[in-house]
Amino acid sequence: MKKVISLIITAAIMAVSLFTFAGCGAKDGDNGQGDFIVGAIYINSQNDTSGYTYAHHKGLVKAMQDLGLDTTRHLKIVDNVEEDDMAVSNAIDLLAGQGCDIIFGISFGYINAMKEKSEEFSDIVFSHATGYMSNDTNFNNYFGRIYQARYLSGIAAGFKSLALGNNNIGYVSAWGTEYAETCSGINAFALGARSVNPDAVIHVKKISAWGDQEKERQAAEVLIDTYDCCVIGQHCDSAQPQLVAQEKGMFGCGYNSDMTSQAPNAHLTAPIWNWDVYYRYAIETAMNNPASQFVSTVGNYYGGLVEGMVDLTPLSANCEPGTDEAIRLAREAMVTGTWDVFSGSKLVFTVRGGNVEMSIVGDALLDNAGNEIVPAGGPSVDDGVIQGSMNYYLEGVIAE
Amino acid sequence: MADEPYAIELRGICKTFGSIKANRNINLTLKKGEILALLGENGSGKTTLMNMLSGIYTPDAGSVFINGAKVTISSPEDSAKLGIGMVHQHFKLVENFSCADNIWIGARDKGFLLKKDRYKIIEDMASEFGFEIDPRKLVSMMSVSEKQTLEILKVLYYGASVIILDEPTAVLTVQETRKLFDVLRRMKESGHSVIIITHKLNEVMEISDRVAVLRKGEYIDTVVTSETTEKKLTELMVGRKIELNINRPAPNKTKPLLEIRNLTVLNDEGSVAVDDLRFYIRGGEILGVAGIAGSGQKELCEAIAGLRHVERGKIIHKGRNIAGLPPKTIFEAGIAFSFIPEDRLGMGLAPNMSIVDNVILKKYKYGTSPFVDRKSGRVEAEDIVKRYEVVTTSVDAPVRQMSGGNVQKVLLGREINASPNVLITAYPVRGLDINSSYLVYDTLNAQKAKGVGVLFVGEDLDVMMELCDKIMVMCHGRLMGVVRAVNTNKEELGLMMTGALDLVNAKEDKPAGIAVDSALTLEEWEREIEAEDKEVDKND
Amino acid sequence: MTKLHLVRRTGNTLLRRIICYLAAIAISMGIGAILLLSLGINPLDYYSDMLTVGLIGNKYAYKSVEGFLKVFVPLLMVSMALALSFKMRFWNIGGEGEFLIGAMCAAAIAYRCDGMPGPVVLILMCLAAMISSGLVGLAVAFLKCRFNTNETLVTLMMNYIVLYAVKYIGETKAPWNFFLREDSERPLFAKFPDNAIMPGIMIGRFNLLYSVVISVILTVIIYIYLKYTKQGYEIAVVGDSINTARYAGMKVNGIILRTMFISAALIGLAGAFSASASATVSPSMTNNAGWTGIVVAWLSKLSIPGILVAAFLISLLQYGCLAASLSYPEIDQNFADLMQGMILFAVLMSDFLVTFKIVRRKETES
Repeated sequence: MKKVISLIITAAIMAVSLFTFAGCGAKDGDNGQGDFIVGAIYINSQNDTSGYTYAHHKGLVKAMQDLGLDTTRHLKIVDNVEEDDMAVSNAIDLLAGQGCDIIFGISFGYINAMKEKSEEFSDIVFSHATGYMSNDTNFNNYFGRIYQARYLSGIAAGFKSLALGNNNIGYVSAWGTEYAETCSGINAFALGARSVNPDAVIHVKKISAWGDQEKERQAAEVLIDTYDCCVIGQHCDSAQPQLVAQEKGMFGCGYNSDMTSQAPNAHLTAPIWNWDVYYRYAIETAMNNPASQFVSTVGNYYGGLVEGMVDLTPLSANCEPGTDEAIRLAREAMVTGTWDVFSGSKLVFTVRGGNVEMSIVGDALLDNAGNEIVPAGGPSVDDGVIQGSMNYYLEGVIAE
Repeated sequence: MADEPYAIELRGICKTFGSIKANRNINLTLKKGEILALLGENGSGKTTLMNMLSGIYTPDAGSVFINGAKVTISSPEDSAKLGIGMVHQHFKLVENFSCADNIWIGARDKGFLLKKDRYKIIEDMASEFGFEIDPRKLVSMMSVSEKQTLEILKVLYYGASVIILDEPTAVLTVQETRKLFDVLRRMKESGHSVIIITHKLNEVMEISDRVAVLRKGEYIDTVVTSETTEKKLTELMVGRKIELNINRPAPNKTKPLLEIRNLTVLNDEGSVAVDDLRFYIRGGEILGVAGIAGSGQKELCEAIAGLRHVERGKIIHKGRNIAGLPPKTIFEAGIAFSFIPEDRLGMGLAPNMSIVDNVILKKYKYGTSPFVDRKSGRVEAEDIVKRYEVVTTSVDAPVRQMSGGNVQKVLLGREINASPNVLITAYPVRGLDINSSYLVYDTLNAQKAKGVGVLFVGEDLDVMMELCDKIMVMCHGRLMGVVRAVNTNKEELGLMMTGALDLVNAKEDKPAGIAVDSALTLEEWEREIEAEDKEVDKND
Repeated sequence: MTKLHLVRRTGNTLLRRIICYLAAIAISMGIGAILLLSLGINPLDYYSDMLTVGLIGNKYAYKSVEGFLKVFVPLLMVSMALALSFKMRFWNIGGEGEFLIGAMCAAAIAYRCDGMPGPVVLILMCLAAMISSGLVGLAVAFLKCRFNTNETLVTLMMNYIVLYAVKYIGETKAPWNFFLREDSERPLFAKFPDNAIMPGIMIGRFNLLYSVVISVILTVIIYIYLKYTKQGYEIAVVGDSINTARYAGMKVNGIILRTMFISAALIGLAGAFSASASATVSPSMTNNAGWTGIVVAWLSKLSIPGILVAAFLISLLQYGCLAASLSYPEIDQNFADLMQGMILFAVLMSDFLVTFKIVRRKETES
């Protein structure tokens, strides 16, 4: 008897579901025309108050507000999505079902699923951060030239090390050469530091996680205690490396937000993202063009200092005199397009009588094994290298 | 009575489980310093009633008075505080703890630390009431009677003035029972009141001051023991007169069906449980196996059924050695085995499965179909229920929900339905009421008449002497002799059970219990039988 | 003086059980409603989104059904497999590990048998998953039978061993590691070739995967297996009383080994289905089916129709919570998990209240 009742109930529930399903099929397109809906897939919680997801969410909300879109009605988010094709596919199905016109995926591991789904849902724009895949119609990838901002923060670190008479600079990194993103950041930071202090050495400590406060702290402690580093740069989510630097009377460059409030006596400056720059551009384009023309309009987006996609937080009082001027000069060189970081020429800063002078010197770009990457005077490496295949450290970088 | 209030008085107690009325309007009184026997058939509500006194159940209606004051017992703690202690049929002991620690864990106000002198305290108490117990001994090492002693000691230690014993003698030998009764009398002298639940009328007559009788959940009467007889009590209990004599048809003997030669079997702990045993069973006779609990009866039965490894010796069934064969082969050769363990459900039945599923237990594998044949199982189950008057709501009900007696009927019914030629049955009437017991005896006699050889492992010597043709006595796994039931008496059996009398080599020309070669021809067998019969005549 | 105490209920009707469960769900949703209101969300909107699994107003409604089935099918299969071993009182809590082993072995076949015809690859994948996972189950059962190890601990620890092994494979770029994409610098599990992807029957745009059909057929088969076959009968007897099983002449160890093999093999098959349906593997692909399956098996009292209902409802809850959280920026996946946890907890609590009742002692004067 029990069995019979159970079976009837199951059948009933399933039938109701199917009817609902059928009913919905009929209502197809209700959501289609009038509203423009933005979907996003986050690696962490949308309610985070710092870190990577937070930066994206803040940028996306700001961009939508600027464009007059209501984030409570026009923004659909699936968060805490692991880098797992199955989970990402499901998230995309959900977002597609909710009528999203453009879907942003912010984590590298979403790449396969987004590519697959961009073929399945050709009427939706797929835009993937930090990746390297794209097609000609509705799937692009986007990222920023954060290495430019890192180069600038490296200048601040170089001044500090010069003043302290200590050539050891530390760098707490989530990953090492396996990600072009982290690798290019480290290299840019090293070039920046060495433009001021040619003898500076960057000790890199990899923690093998994007965010792990305990590991970040330990890595910073080791860098200061064992490798005698005087400035700690970082590519990880929390302010722990800055806090450690402060505790030990050293200095540091943060990441993602102005960490001066957390480590007022240690923090110099931090490279930051302004994701809203891209999001505004992408959403506006998608609103005004069919999905199939998205890539031909936007392409793969790779904004830098020029676009305002990346920037540096205001220099703190801990910075050495002259830092401000040197950074201004370097920024100008990059913004005007006269010079870029990974090219066959280097910036050299010298301080004479309180004045900072900058010169551009042709010099081959060498990796830390001595192999030539770009010959002296050669052009900057291809964007693709920095986006995808930079898997070597440059001269002056030591992986610890 | 007006001057001294009752130790316990129950008024109008009712208890219902689902649709079953376990107790209806029960009134019961217990005087201070008396032993009250609570008598009733299986399922008459004795245990339910006592569980309400000990706080395991709460009555649906009615009231309880202790020393004249109305009380509410809603938990075992309440019950203990009121000075009521119960010794359950199934012991509630921690196996890995010592005797003293078992007492200690349940003690109220025991404080935070174990007291060093706790062994001494227990020892003193034991000697006061005449118990023999080592307070340091682990429960897992104790015999059944020791465990029971510990349970009694426990409730006394907790300060019980009323002690309830649920079928305490079911697991004891005659000697142990006597010892228990001595203790009970001593408790009575020291002012304790005792309620003892039992089926055994002789024990009721021996130990109790008054007897309260329940029948089918209803209170019948309370009588003073000295003013009644076993016959009258039986009438009160079952509500009609019944024949007290067990029928014993003359055996129609055939060749020995099963012959045990020099059998040695180990118990679970690896020590010798059955020691060089030899005997035989003929078709058409009932061979009783007597012995103190734990003398190797269980191991013997298991060895024959193929459930236990045979260390040495042969088990010859119809001329074939079956020692070492798998249980299934032995069963298919016609040896049926029903063992009622002390907890009644441990072996032979799957308690959570239905009667149908239990009935097909041994032959579910017959046939080549991958499916279990429940259709014929259902027919058989219904037949067993009808034939043995099994009380149950349906053949699909789990056997766990039936009372012990009904479970046993199912078990025995199943074994007999397999039409065996040798039926091994251990304690088939354990815990059964009189009606059910007689049904079992009749069943066994019917098998005997059909030419089945029956091995009856029992505990009640009176029953065995009336039912069995021959009685084999074991002591510590050794054969003490095989005697004809008509030629023996309880004293002789008792001596043999304790090892004081060894009849194996009593007669030089023919050692008892040694089977004649089962490979003999039919004529030779007939001569053997004649010789045996002559011997019987001579002794008569 | 009145006291409250617990009494085991007798004669429970299915109706009462269902009413209790519904009441529990209502209470937990009530608490959820208060939380939602405090976040400024209309609970009715939220719940209607949840219960319709985001189907209403959906451009791609069939995708929601497919997504739901991706949660439901593995959970159903794992729960049934666990019920098989639980019925035998064999506490196999290694569902997670067995699932991953099955998925990984299926993946190995998928990556290595590129170019073979689709049905052959798929059958090979299922066989590899069942055999590999089944052998692990067999090993656990063997340890239990031979050395009387605690299967709960063994299977529990096995989950973590397998999980970390999969993580290792997923994060280690090496020439031997054919599980990863070759074109990616960063370690990423590769996508299966097309011939290793589970095909389905197209109903309109809705793709009814063969794995769904097979799992429904398996449900019927397992129901019949447990209920009507000799082997199912043996499982029940062994679970009820090992002594009785021995007494009946059953080869208890053989039954335990066989049943654990089947149980683990089924879970492995679920892993293969899941991998094949999503065309890749990942350490988080179990979606906790190995754990949730334990809850499902117990909630349904190990009955197969009960598992069908419980797995359906719990998948609905899981997927519905996810779907509903989409439309509200205030709600993240953690809140969805919280809702899900509360509802499950309330149902388990009500299960207790269905089994027992709290009564007040009746005082009756005589």
